[in-house]
Amino acid sequence: MERKRKSPWSFMTNGYLLLIMLFIYLPIAYVVVFSFNDSKSMTKFVGFSLRWYEAMLQDRTMLESIRTTVVVAVIATAVSTVVGTITAIGLSKARPLIRAAVLEVNNLPVMNPDIVTAIGMMLLFIVPGVQLSMTTLILAHITFCIPYVILTIMPKLRQLDDNVAEAALDLGANPWQALTKVILPQIYPAILSGALIAFSMSFDDFVISFFTAGVGVNNISMYVYSMKRYNPSVNALSTLIVVVVTIILILVNLIPYIKEKKTKKEEQRL
Amino acid sequence: MKSFFRMTYPYILWIGLFIVAPMIMILLYALTKDGGNRTLIFQFTFDNFSRFFSDPTFMRVLWTSLRIAFLTTVFCILIGYPAALFIANLSERAQTMMVLLLTLPMWINMLLKTYAWRGILMNFDLESEVKVFIGMVYDFLPYMIIQIHTSIAKLDRNLTIAAYDLGANKWKTFLKVTLPLSVPGIISGITLVFLPAVSSFVIPKLLGGGDYVLIGNLIETFFITTGDWNFGSAISLIMALIIIASMWLTKKIDRNAQED
Amino acid sequence: MKKVWAMLLVISLLAVPMMALAADDVLNVYNWGEYIDKQVITNFEKEYKVRVNYDVYDSNETMYTKLMSGASYDVIIPSDYMIERLIREKKLQALDHSIIDNLDNLAEGVRGYQQYDPDNTYSVPYLWQTVGIVYDTTKIDPADMEAQGWNAFLNPDYKGHVYMYDSERDAFMVALKALGYSANTDKAEELNAAYNWLREMDKAVRPSYVTDEVIDAMAAGEKWMALVYSGDAAYILSENEDMGYCTPSQGTNVAVDAMVIPANASNPELANKFIKYILDYENSLMISEEVGYASANAQVLEELSGEGGDYEGNDAYVPRDGYELDEIYHDIPEDLRSQYSSMWIKVKLHE
Repeated sequence: MERKRKSPWSFMTNGYLLLIMLFIYLPIAYVVVFSFNDSKSMTKFVGFSLRWYEAMLQDRTMLESIRTTVVVAVIATAVSTVVGTITAIGLSKARPLIRAAVLEVNNLPVMNPDIVTAIGMMLLFIVPGVQLSMTTLILAHITFCIPYVILTIMPKLRQLDDNVAEAALDLGANPWQALTKVILPQIYPAILSGALIAFSMSFDDFVISFFTAGVGVNNISMYVYSMKRYNPSVNALSTLIVVVVTIILILVNLIPYIKEKKTKKEEQRL
Repeated sequence: MKSFFRMTYPYILWIGLFIVAPMIMILLYALTKDGGNRTLIFQFTFDNFSRFFSDPTFMRVLWTSLRIAFLTTVFCILIGYPAALFIANLSERAQTMMVLLLTLPMWINMLLKTYAWRGILMNFDLESEVKVFIGMVYDFLPYMIIQIHTSIAKLDRNLTIAAYDLGANKWKTFLKVTLPLSVPGIISGITLVFLPAVSSFVIPKLLGGGDYVLIGNLIETFFITTGDWNFGSAISLIMALIIIASMWLTKKIDRNAQED
Repeated sequence: MKKVWAMLLVISLLAVPMMALAADDVLNVYNWGEYIDKQVITNFEKEYKVRVNYDVYDSNETMYTKLMSGASYDVIIPSDYMIERLIREKKLQALDHSIIDNLDNLAEGVRGYQQYDPDNTYSVPYLWQTVGIVYDTTKIDPADMEAQGWNAFLNPDYKGHVYMYDSERDAFMVALKALGYSANTDKAEELNAAYNWLREMDKAVRPSYVTDEVIDAMAAGEKWMALVYSGDAAYILSENEDMGYCTPSQGTNVAVDAMVIPANASNPELANKFIKYILDYENSLMISEEVGYASANAQVLEELSGEGGDYEGNDAYVPRDGYELDEIYHDIPEDLRSQYSSMWIKVKLHE
């Protein structure tokens, strides 16, 4: 099916995508460059230095905030992706009125200013006397992540041909099979996107985290937003994140490739 | 299909507890008198709402926020749609890679990226409004691209090829097949861009040279600095209602478009 | 899909080795972000064989809201007016002066501003500062600046070259002081006059309303003048020699950030030890050197501003003290805060 067209058109489309990527990575590159700046300034580069990396390594609060951020984001993403997917599929078969009502409520965390969600959640926990902790933080993150997953999956489900699932049921498949063999494969790109968006939302949240996390629980954003004065160590920290994620991306992409080559070689040997 | 609907029960319970219950508290604050020091007292009043509408300043702030969010959304669609379309035409592996590449920058703190933009844009003599939109579009564009891409990935190819085979040209295929299919994705994209954009204020504040007082800023001021949760709640509810109304309009237009 | 899960798995595995080691005794400290030398914390942990949880906030008000959730901290470092409120609401506990036996270290200057807690019953000053104007001496003559004081914000010659700090309380302080009133006034006519003064300012100089980004911007010399805290000014002056600092003769706000122990602290004994530790000469020195705000420790203040000190010749480091027109903020009631907020929004909207 792969059509290889090396036309001016594909040159243009690739050029456009390249421009978008440049736009998106420009500030990231800026942050990386300024993580090596020998000054506190974010506007003037005075010289190369590793001082912010040293400072970062000595800053335990900051290092621990990475752990909290990742743990919270992974758990929140896992739970919200599963719950969001199940709910979205269920909703797509629900009566329009119920669907509309649930989706409207679902939109609230997306629409409300963070401070409103934050105070609402904090009240929810403190009124019955629940101590804020890592758990409350994770619950809050799951709550604002699920809507993003549902919003990402719903449009894909709308495109799905209802008849396919029903045909599967008619042909004797049980609902579980219809779900896993018919529906899920078709919406899987949407689930993937939903999970990625949920992860990013959780990773970058400040206000809600601030008011739902317990004593001694800090994520990266809480650290960054509370800086009375700009500390370029966060540039170093971000550079570290970029590097780690890039390495993982390369590995994850290379491993199947190497495996493929290996199996091909083995096949050839046979 | 009853068995499928049952799948939504856990989430309905969840939103009842974690979204509806907190919103009821916010509603109670909005509808009651200021008890002082953020305490809730059950003396019902509409004062918080009338205070908002009696002072044109507040409406002005809300209007500016809506305008910025609206334009940000429009720019995101205009720039993001072609990108999503072009990505959907890549090989499957390249598509996954592109989606990952689009999300990776979202893991770098927004404040940090905005500071970076401040540094970059300082070298250019631009209107502060232009800077604000660069920052806003930057922040929200990935969501729009991913949403639209998700809706046209996979399905699109077979259909467009079929349309080709039936003799439709590229442009016609796009108008008759791809575009209508992507409408739900656009709507999702609008939801993910417009809704949060209305109440966001950090980017305009940092890039706009302090020229922007926005509704999110106002709400945060009343919740945090002033400590008047009653008025803060009322403002956020008014904002929510206006957004819901405008989204409802968007969906209506979508439905009409689909019926065409 | 597999790729994403594999990626997430690898990331979570990477996070595991960073799991914190448990220590027997824990001290929960809550402070402004970037307001300490981290080494001091590490040293304290080593010396007392404890673990310090160090959380941060960005304003007195966010801290206060967080406290409402019942969060239990052992040491917090709020500002004067917030301490006044916390004392009134009985949210603090008395310090143990038998542990904190080095109160004599406190500088005379900062002692004079402790109206919220004159005998250090609940609080021990940490760092202190004034509010003033940082200006580019190549653009504005120092003599002119001193002569104008706050009225420089009304000078149309500076139009487009001014940063105003986006904090309603500080902005109103400037106006009230320029008009010769108290920064803690609750008289409606004085507030109205201040409001009109600020509107006039907005028209005359069209300032950019900024927050902490002003520090970087003034260090880079982006505008001619800005309203800043002296501690930040000290940093700006050390980065850019063209910059000068003026504490207007009409009087200004002096702010004291002080260490307190909340009533619900779980480890008050260790908290008292921590406060004593911070007030010690060496630790105060490290903190003030790193942060640039004036130390509450007399010896440190003298040394850093004296010959060979980090801030020798830096006009912004040592706050003016004993000046009759200078005052600290007092806690103001909510309806007054609400008025401030509404009026400040109108100023910023050029109404």
